Amino acid sequence: MAGLSFEEQVYWTLIDLANALLTGTFIGGYYAILSIGLALSFGVMRLVNLAHGEFLIVGAYISAVILQVVNIPAFFVLFIVVPIMFGIGYGLQRFLLNRVSVQAMERRGMSSNFGLMAPILVTFGLSIFISHGLLAIFASDAMSINNSLAFSAIRITSDLSVSTLRFIFFLFAIVLLIALFLFLRHSATGRAIRATSDNPTYATLMGINTEHVFAVALGISLAIGGVAGFMIGMTRTFQPFDGPQFILIAFGVVIIGGMNSIVGSLVGGVLLGIVQVLAGTYFGPSAQLVGGYMLVLAVLAFFREGLFSR
Amino acid sequence: MSTWGSRGNLSAKPGRDGRYPILTVEKLSAWYGELRALQGISFSANAGEVVSVIGANGAGKSTLLRAMTGMMNLGKRAHIEGRIECQGRRLDRLRTEKIIEGGVTMVPEGRMLFSRMSVEENLLVGAHIPRARDGIKDRLAGIFEFFPRLAERRTQSVSQMSGGEQQMVASGRALMSDPAVILFDELSLGLAPIIVDDIYDKVRQINERGVTCLVIEQDMRRALEVANHVLVMLEGDIVLDGSPDDLSREEITNAYFGTRPEGVA
Repeated sequence: MAGLSFEEQVYWTLIDLANALLTGTFIGGYYAILSIGLALSFGVMRLVNLAHGEFLIVGAYISAVILQVVNIPAFFVLFIVVPIMFGIGYGLQRFLLNRVSVQAMERRGMSSNFGLMAPILVTFGLSIFISHGLLAIFASDAMSINNSLAFSAIRITSDLSVSTLRFIFFLFAIVLLIALFLFLRHSATGRAIRATSDNPTYATLMGINTEHVFAVALGISLAIGGVAGFMIGMTRTFQPFDGPQFILIAFGVVIIGGMNSIVGSLVGGVLLGIVQVLAGTYFGPSAQLVGGYMLVLAVLAFFREGLFSR
Repeated sequence: MSTWGSRGNLSAKPGRDGRYPILTVEKLSAWYGELRALQGISFSANAGEVVSVIGANGAGKSTLLRAMTGMMNLGKRAHIEGRIECQGRRLDRLRTEKIIEGGVTMVPEGRMLFSRMSVEENLLVGAHIPRARDGIKDRLAGIFEFFPRLAERRTQSVSQMSGGEQQMVASGRALMSDPAVILFDELSLGLAPIIVDDIYDKVRQINERGVTCLVIEQDMRRALEVANHVLVMLEGDIVLDGSPDDLSREEITNAYFGTRPEGVA
């Protein structure tokens, strides 16, 4: 800031800070959508879905392919992607993961610890299968969803602006998280999901088909993953092996916010977003990831189960 | 005042004594792996009865309840053989949710409430089965009328409630499924005697409203006070079956502890 007056230096420092806070906050909404599915599958099934990142990329590919084939406004593709991803999640849990769940292992006379490990191994295998499957189908060429909003910005002042897409996605996140909260709180299926999350054995005694509830929960998890995949495709290019970088973000958000909290996902996303952008602004782009994961470590050190875990 | 247990005698036919057998258990055996925990027991319960199942620790009482609610169908780990019928419908091969749908529900030992949910949410989860969703608001209002304390605390987390209040939630939650038969497991466990008196009073009132009750209890005095049919279990077998009015206290005590009456070789 050489050559600037003191007032100008203060002004630009504040503008940098405001830009970082705004951008970080709006990125946080996007991060929350990336992560809520992971939090939901862990909260309900105690499933650490290591294929979560790959499923986001699947959502991105499905969105991109549909929009290449069908001439509809980009956001309308969600009406197709979300049900498809729900179906994939439901089927995956019902016909594969339920067979290796804690309950299934106990029925076979095996240790419940094996029931915790087996689904993790299965999802690890799935992550490899999915990324190589995508490579076989789409090759390694980068894809993206063409849209007119990619370079659009909302100008707040002459020196302060935010990406239009990030702003829309933030609103999306708020609406989606409120909808999910109301669904879990006030619908019979939502209550069954929460009861099963609390204790599957007690839930069974209430007449709840926990295998169906687990499948619905993973269906919802991947349906939200479909939305996240669409967001990925709208904001950047993606390739078959991009999944791991997104699961790292999702793990960060879930660790910060807490494993079973919807509000925690949003707050975790916003905090991670702000810290990453602040680190990038003041210490250069290479500090973004380091800054974000220092926050994760700090939360782990002082709030072992996250800020909003109950 | 609402009447519960309306499904209680829909399809049952009167037995030899003119009453309606609502629940029939025939030659029921249960295994935990190689260990046989129930030894082929048989009994029946008439509609409107309170059946007390008493026995010492390890007598097989809780296993009987687990078997009747489908919780013993765990493949190699645990399984049952024999026949269980409720209102003429065979239950022993059904999954738990189908058994609940069939009109049998359970108030488990230790209450087993959903600790992260409120009183009202716990009650609503009790009405999850499709049959119970009709008239759910009326039934909820009926539960709050029956347990006024729960109405006062409907939005409170159950984890902040006393043991007695939690037992009310557990009983109310079972009633929300509109059952014909409720299986109560160790109601008095961990509760102060005055609270237990209240709880057993509620069991009587539930029974008077048409619900058949099967009460598992270690406290022999309370079990006999509430019952009009008593089963004494010992080492996985039923060693005494009858009306408390027809059985002497000594007979029941001897059966409970597996001792022979004096003078019998």
